[in-house]
Amino acid sequence: MNTKLLPASPAASSSGRPGLSLPAPKNPSRGWFARQYRQRMLRRDLLTVIAWTSVAAAIALWLADGGATGITSPAAAFTAAGIVAGLAGMDLVLLMLLLAARIPFIDRTIGHDRALEFHGKLGKPSLYLLLAHGILLATGYGMAEGLDPVTESVNLWVQVPDMWLAFVSVALFIAVVVTSLVAVRRRFPYEFWYVVHLLTYAAVATSLPHQFSVGGLFAAGTWQRWYWLAICIYTGTALVYFRVLEPALATARHRLTVARVEAVAPGVVNIVMSGRKLDQLAGTGGRFFIWRFLAPGMWWHPHPFSLSAEPVLHGPDGQGTLRVTVRNLGNGSAQLRRLRKGTKVAVEGPYGLLSTAARTRNKVVMIGAGIGITPLRALLETTPFAPGEATVLLRGHTDQELYLGREILELCRARGVRLFHLTGPRAHGRSAWLPEDAVRGGYSLTSYVPDIAEADVYVCGPAAWAANVIADAGKAGVREEQIHHERFDW
Amino acid sequence: MKIRGAIAAGLASAGILVAGWQAGTQVGGIGTVATSTTATGTTGASGTGTSGSGASGSGASGTAGSTGTGSAGSTGSTGSTGSTASGTYKGTAVQTRFGPVQVQITVANGKITDVTALQLTNTDRKSIQISNRAAPLLRSKVLAAQSADVQTVSGATITSDAYLTSLQAAIDAAHL
Repeated sequence: MNTKLLPASPAASSSGRPGLSLPAPKNPSRGWFARQYRQRMLRRDLLTVIAWTSVAAAIALWLADGGATGITSPAAAFTAAGIVAGLAGMDLVLLMLLLAARIPFIDRTIGHDRALEFHGKLGKPSLYLLLAHGILLATGYGMAEGLDPVTESVNLWVQVPDMWLAFVSVALFIAVVVTSLVAVRRRFPYEFWYVVHLLTYAAVATSLPHQFSVGGLFAAGTWQRWYWLAICIYTGTALVYFRVLEPALATARHRLTVARVEAVAPGVVNIVMSGRKLDQLAGTGGRFFIWRFLAPGMWWHPHPFSLSAEPVLHGPDGQGTLRVTVRNLGNGSAQLRRLRKGTKVAVEGPYGLLSTAARTRNKVVMIGAGIGITPLRALLETTPFAPGEATVLLRGHTDQELYLGREILELCRARGVRLFHLTGPRAHGRSAWLPEDAVRGGYSLTSYVPDIAEADVYVCGPAAWAANVIADAGKAGVREEQIHHERFDW
Repeated sequence: MKIRGAIAAGLASAGILVAGWQAGTQVGGIGTVATSTTATGTTGASGTGTSGSGASGSGASGTAGSTGTGSAGSTGSTGSTGSTASGTYKGTAVQTRFGPVQVQITVANGKITDVTALQLTNTDRKSIQISNRAAPLLRSKVLAAQSADVQTVSGATITSDAYLTSLQAAIDAAHL
């Protein structure tokens, strides 16, 4: 069965390496990875600076338009604080949208999952700012007129045009943030959360009219007008381009269809898709794409799966096949086993930093468990290292759970990689990521990889397991920048 | 590395905020001047100068100023004290904590044909917004009632009261 998976490309067989149809990875010169890392950190710092200064700029431009000079009374102070909270809140909301827009620059710098992590972290602060905006302004305006904040709110709702939309907007923001809280999100199916999350666009859209008509943000002749116009237009364009247009273009470009579905192990299948211009996706092994299988009842369900092998080319115009390896998890995944040959596939991606772009060192260690092994299989194919500079640890309950184990074994042989199969029931207490008998036998991470402190460590597996691995790696002297881990259970 | 990013972001943010503050105090200075000219604009044509100011706050007061200018020319005709009064009559400027309010009425053959606001509460954006909302409502109510005996606009109580007080003074001046 495994031989069938291996591409029979002449180029690959002449290089003497099974499983490779693309040019063999070249080992970059010493220091190349360190330089790549420094550049990535520089980009990350740039993003940090942009994010923070955007908030500062929002407030500074309000100051520049004479915002603070109007503070002459307690009421005006409340009002000013309310305006500042609104400006900062709006800025954070736009940053959140940008973080979720899958902008390549952000993805290449911090990775898709870190971007979403920051996106999530900003959720509550921006909601609090928007709530403070409403409450402070109702208080400030109310004080100015001798009314209590509630009456003033009702007045604003009833009398000021577009204000009722702003109230609707806040309600929508509350709904979006509350359904995203971990405790709440767990109770509902993903689809429910997703639909509610789409309301973010409605929340932003309903908040805009009052910013134009009531707020001074877009008032003619102010500095703020240009800032907000620019940032709003940029955010909107980025969302439309990277989340709608670019996926549509990629789908049209590659014209992927399901070629076959092969059983790998009980409950695990390879989905092989054929398409064109796949040469453009070279080097994306290990990164993930969002797939939609355009069959009745399935097309609306997005599946984030990593490539489990480099694209295999076997024709002109980049014709070839892609492969993902999928374990039967939720309802959506179960359906995938019944995919028919020829089903069209819409694709978005590649996303994520589980790739050579994350490398900081010359040595590599890959630690995978269960279905998390499969992206590492693809990365192992292409990421550059010299023979003897890489180690692969595969963890599964049984040998059967070391998915694609045969392919990995062959790749390891071809590229001179140390490979360990770690099977058996899991250990308890410390080093719970290892099998019980390994821990009992006195083995730890450094027994398998003595030089792990000098290596990039790719970790892919269930969240709790991965956290254990990362903790042990930290103890072994691996620094944060060397650990490359991506959640795939979003 | 993270520290470097944080420091850079902090410094840049602080710099931007200080720059904004600096720019703001300058605009604020202009704004104050603009407001004071508006206040005096009711007696002369100097109100027109304020409409050029950049900030939205002074922009709105500029509107008030130029309204005053438009009718300032006809103020000279406020000579007659007869019962069938015609001409324009200014009410007293009523001080509120959000700024002075003063209206002017145009009277033709003993009827109020127009009410213009020479000054309206304008100390902050909210006041301007309230004024801009309340003034047209009050004007139409007054023209319909032909007196200052009209309902105040809810949510703009202070502006309404001051508006109607100034209006009553103008009506008294016209001996209607």
